[in-house]
Amino acid sequence: MAKEEEKRKIRYAMLVDLRRCVGCQSCSVACKSENEVPLSKFRTWVKIIEKGRYPDVSRQFLPALCNNCENPICNRNCPVHATYIRPDGIVMVNMHRCIGCMYCMASCPYDVRYVNPLRKIVQKCFWCAHRVDAGLLPACVETCLGRALIFGDINDPNSEISQVLATNAVVRLKPELGTDPHVFYIAADADAMDPTKGIDIDKIRFMEPY
Amino acid sequence: MDVGSQVTVLYNSPHQIPLGLLIAQYFYLTGLSAGSFVISVVAILGRKVEYKPLGKIGAILAPLCLILAPMNLLSDMAQPLRFWHLMTYLPGYINFKSPITYGVILLTAYPISATIYAYFVLTGNMKWSKVFAIIGIPLAISVHGYTGFILALGKGRALWNTALMPTLFIVSAMVSGIAMMILIAIVRNMFFMKDKTVEEREKDRQLILGLGKFLGGAIIADLFLLFNDILVLLTSSKEAWETAHLLLWGKFAFEFIGVELFFGSIIPLFLVFYPKTAKTFKWLSIASVLVMIGIYAMRFTVVVGGQSVPLH
Ligand code: SF4
Ligand code: SF4
Repeated sequence: MAKEEEKRKIRYAMLVDLRRCVGCQSCSVACKSENEVPLSKFRTWVKIIEKGRYPDVSRQFLPALCNNCENPICNRNCPVHATYIRPDGIVMVNMHRCIGCMYCMASCPYDVRYVNPLRKIVQKCFWCAHRVDAGLLPACVETCLGRALIFGDINDPNSEISQVLATNAVVRLKPELGTDPHVFYIAADADAMDPTKGIDIDKIRFMEPY
Repeated sequence: MDVGSQVTVLYNSPHQIPLGLLIAQYFYLTGLSAGSFVISVVAILGRKVEYKPLGKIGAILAPLCLILAPMNLLSDMAQPLRFWHLMTYLPGYINFKSPITYGVILLTAYPISATIYAYFVLTGNMKWSKVFAIIGIPLAISVHGYTGFILALGKGRALWNTALMPTLFIVSAMVSGIAMMILIAIVRNMFFMKDKTVEEREKDRQLILGLGKFLGGAIIADLFLLFNDILVLLTSSKEAWETAHLLLWGKFAFEFIGVELFFGSIIPLFLVFYPKTAKTFKWLSIASVLVMIGIYAMRFTVVVGGQSVPLH
């Protein structure tokens, strides 16, 4: 895995600095409008939790998006190569090849993929590859008012993301699963990162895929 | 004070269950097919002539179930008309690492070989039916084993991601396959053997009761695997514990403990081994119906229950 990453000339990654996040959901909205994400589906969203007991309380945020993993299980399991990895590490879905078997959605440990109910194919965050190719930043990064999102090339030691990664303690979601996720978090809250905290697992409702 | 108990989620995106009942049903039907094929082959390859009728029943049921099974897959796909994307068999177009690809290859080869096998068995060509029995056995086992890999390689889900899954699926396929064979064999004995002599019918009866014992053995193997699985779930990661909670005393307790374990395994086990009930068709058929419902519940709890732990 690591070898693969070193071979890449460019390896994009995202860094979320939660010290700067105010939980305003601007990134979710920007993504929705940039990528025409259908109602009730999200490519990125900010999970918000509240914890503690008055007066020792806080609200914690966790922006979630596809981790564009280096070793993505969605890619390994896609039977028709609809999911593929670009040379710069972004994991894409080819909308003309996807058969909508939803196996990738079932395999992804982060539940960040969805079926577009109109096009009937699977979609997910791809760091606005169309904008990146045009030299722009992903829409969420562009819009983030606290500059909590940093996007860039981690193989370039002079990029902002490389410098912030090198000088801060960062964590990733579920690194133990070996997908090698490439969204890094600074000051992420353990309770927000735990999917089973703060909910009654017998009562939560699940959505049909489309 | 435990901070964890005071966490409230204010906002999150919806959790999804991508693979639903249709996939569970697909697994169920391939299981029935593989199970009845294996029993049929055991009967054909065995030396005893009286087992031959079982061979015929299994030979018909196996391809039949396997024609129905992929229909579930097709109707579950969001783009069913693109099914041919799976069938180009060209490297670069299909991903040979994906378990679905193994499945496509097996789902092409197995029904063909099972149909040829059925043809030779029904026309009484013993030599060729043995050849196709031997070709078919690995195919039948892998056509159901691979569905276990589909789940086992879904590494985000604690209930699925275990090396036990393919074995568990093959054993439960045997259980449901034998149960279906017993039911059909009982119907045949009661309604379609009127022209046969009393001795012949009695011989057939003993044969079916013998299958009941096989059913009991398969159920015990299945229970043993389930026990292993649950024990490890209870002591593994947090997601695994939550899954065990869902199955044992949570949302899926009725399907798992009630239907699958109690009505689908324990009661049939009692019925096939308790001397009074083991000798009558009435109780044997009740046991088989319960087993078939139980395995259906098993497919449902594994597929849907496995996805019922939130991931974000
Ligand atoms: S986060 Fe999920 S969908 Fe995104 S690359 Fe990783 S495994 Fe695939
Ligand atoms: S739904 Fe599409 S992208 Fe996902 S595994 Fe199936 S073909 Fe691949």
